[in-house]
Amino acid sequence: MAASSRPLPRWSPPSRRYEIASIAAGVLLWWAVARLSGLPSFILPTPGQVWTRGWEALRSGLLLRHTWVTLQEVLVGLSLGVLLGAPLGYALAKSRRLERIFAPYIVTSQAIPVVAIAPLLIIWFGPGMLSKVLITVLITFFPLLMNTLVGVRSVPEELHHLLCSLGARRWQVLRYLEIPAALPMFFSGLRIAATLSVVGAVVGEFIAAREGLGFLINEARGRYDTALVFVGVLTLMALALSLYAAVRYAESRLLYWQRRNGQAVVTPGRR
Amino acid sequence: MLAFSSLRRLGWLWVLFVVGALAACQAAAEPATTEATAPPLQTIRLPMGYIPNIQYAPFYVAVERGYFREAGFEIEFDYSFETDGVRLVAAGEVPFAVASGEQVLMARDQGLPVVYVMAWWQKFPVAVIAAEDAGVREPADLEGQRIGLPGLFGATYIGLTALLHYAGLTEADVTLEAIGFNQVEALATGQVPVVVGYVTNEPIQLRHQGYAITVLPVADYVSLASNGIITSETMIAEHPEQVRAFVRALYRGLQDVVNDPDVGYEASLAHVEGLADQDKGVQMEILHTAIQYWWTGGEPPLGHADLEAWQNMHDLLLDMGLLSQPQDIEAAVTNEFVP
Repeated sequence: MAASSRPLPRWSPPSRRYEIASIAAGVLLWWAVARLSGLPSFILPTPGQVWTRGWEALRSGLLLRHTWVTLQEVLVGLSLGVLLGAPLGYALAKSRRLERIFAPYIVTSQAIPVVAIAPLLIIWFGPGMLSKVLITVLITFFPLLMNTLVGVRSVPEELHHLLCSLGARRWQVLRYLEIPAALPMFFSGLRIAATLSVVGAVVGEFIAAREGLGFLINEARGRYDTALVFVGVLTLMALALSLYAAVRYAESRLLYWQRRNGQAVVTPGRR
Repeated sequence: MLAFSSLRRLGWLWVLFVVGALAACQAAAEPATTEATAPPLQTIRLPMGYIPNIQYAPFYVAVERGYFREAGFEIEFDYSFETDGVRLVAAGEVPFAVASGEQVLMARDQGLPVVYVMAWWQKFPVAVIAAEDAGVREPADLEGQRIGLPGLFGATYIGLTALLHYAGLTEADVTLEAIGFNQVEALATGQVPVVVGYVTNEPIQLRHQGYAITVLPVADYVSLASNGIITSETMIAEHPEQVRAFVRALYRGLQDVVNDPDVGYEASLAHVEGLADQDKGVQMEILHTAIQYWWTGGEPPLGHADLEAWQNMHDLLLDMGLLSQPQDIEAAVTNEFVP
């Protein structure tokens, strides 16, 4: 791991022209289908109708209020998923016995559909934020755990021997070898978990809530306000994309050695 | 090599076979002279709005006794959400659906051209259910209570609001908790002392599990429009005979169950999976309770909508802000197709 003398490449926002063009094409297709299909607006509203409804919801504070509630559930749930999944993944990576002990529970927790277990969590923990956060943790900790486990185990044994021969202590092995080596895999899992966390929060809100984007979508559906349903769904998409982008940014900053070595951290829009 | 006589026999057998086959084809092509030519059945998907349940006995009787077939319909029950059924009717994807009165008014407020053509339930089935030690004996006792309900939408929310209004209370006087469809569990575990549900469901379940409860049916205090059959304005304009035929078929099924609930139970066995394994006493209690809400026994007649109840529902929805503007009740509901 020789230090490179080359200056660190400046980080610059990647070009978004392909994403923008793709989104514009998607909106155009949506508009064309809505106008040409003859479907009524309560089945498929046009982009314009959705935009108008969304602007109304934004101005009245309705959209921001519900988005903030969902965002809180997502951030708390994702954070707990990281705090639970990463250390547990490291522990299982270091101990095959622990892995065999926990494997049945971990696999089972992922085999059960969240929509099936969510009502039980709400019965046990109440309809408040706690149950939504738990659902989010349940859905996010698995990719974090598995990716951390794989990342730690991917460290070549020779490097362990090298550091041990140099008299490194356990925390030094963790700090200078295992963490840097596992970070790329960890961030892969975090990207997946970030988008799944939105799903977890919304599933809980669909079942029992009085606030949040899932509740807003349910309520709009019950009032036949299909345009508002679309507003809620699009807001959820924006939320998920923002979290994903935030994770990619953090990844690009923390995995700086990949940029130094000419291995660009792949970001959308950059070849 | 076959002898010439054998070949002749085979030839005659072959001729007989061909003649017989031709005769069979001819018979199949011609309808039996003893049967009248029946119109083809129209297969329709009927959104029910809830899971298979003995409360749908009138529909099951109408199927089992052939009333729908006589009317020209082959029914496929679709147990999807109520709001989806309303949308499908409005979009012309299905001709009929089961929906509650408030759904019709709210849908029409958003421009969905649906019309209520038959009242299946004449009384609103929502009730407030309280643990006995919560001290809720009348609507005024709800003040200060924590009340669990599926969500701040739907018939339970509207029914509770009606009860609060009756008692001169508002939402600010109570604490509402959205608990999902877990009313029985929430009350049984003490999460909330009061829940909102349906008279034909939660109270019966709780009592049979040994819980002491008090029940305040909304219908005892306020008359509100409830579940019935909806169709689209297009169906009424272009196929009124089909609307009339469908309503009459269901009316006959409803009448049969009201007159003899056992008929309803028997018909439901074929359509509600696992019904035979459930406590028949509980199921019959559900059915008997439902019958009391289907028809008051007096006016209006069976299957007819109570326009006063519709006006009450309309005014309540307007007051709750669930209607953006006043609606024309007479455009939303009609009894013209009910016998």
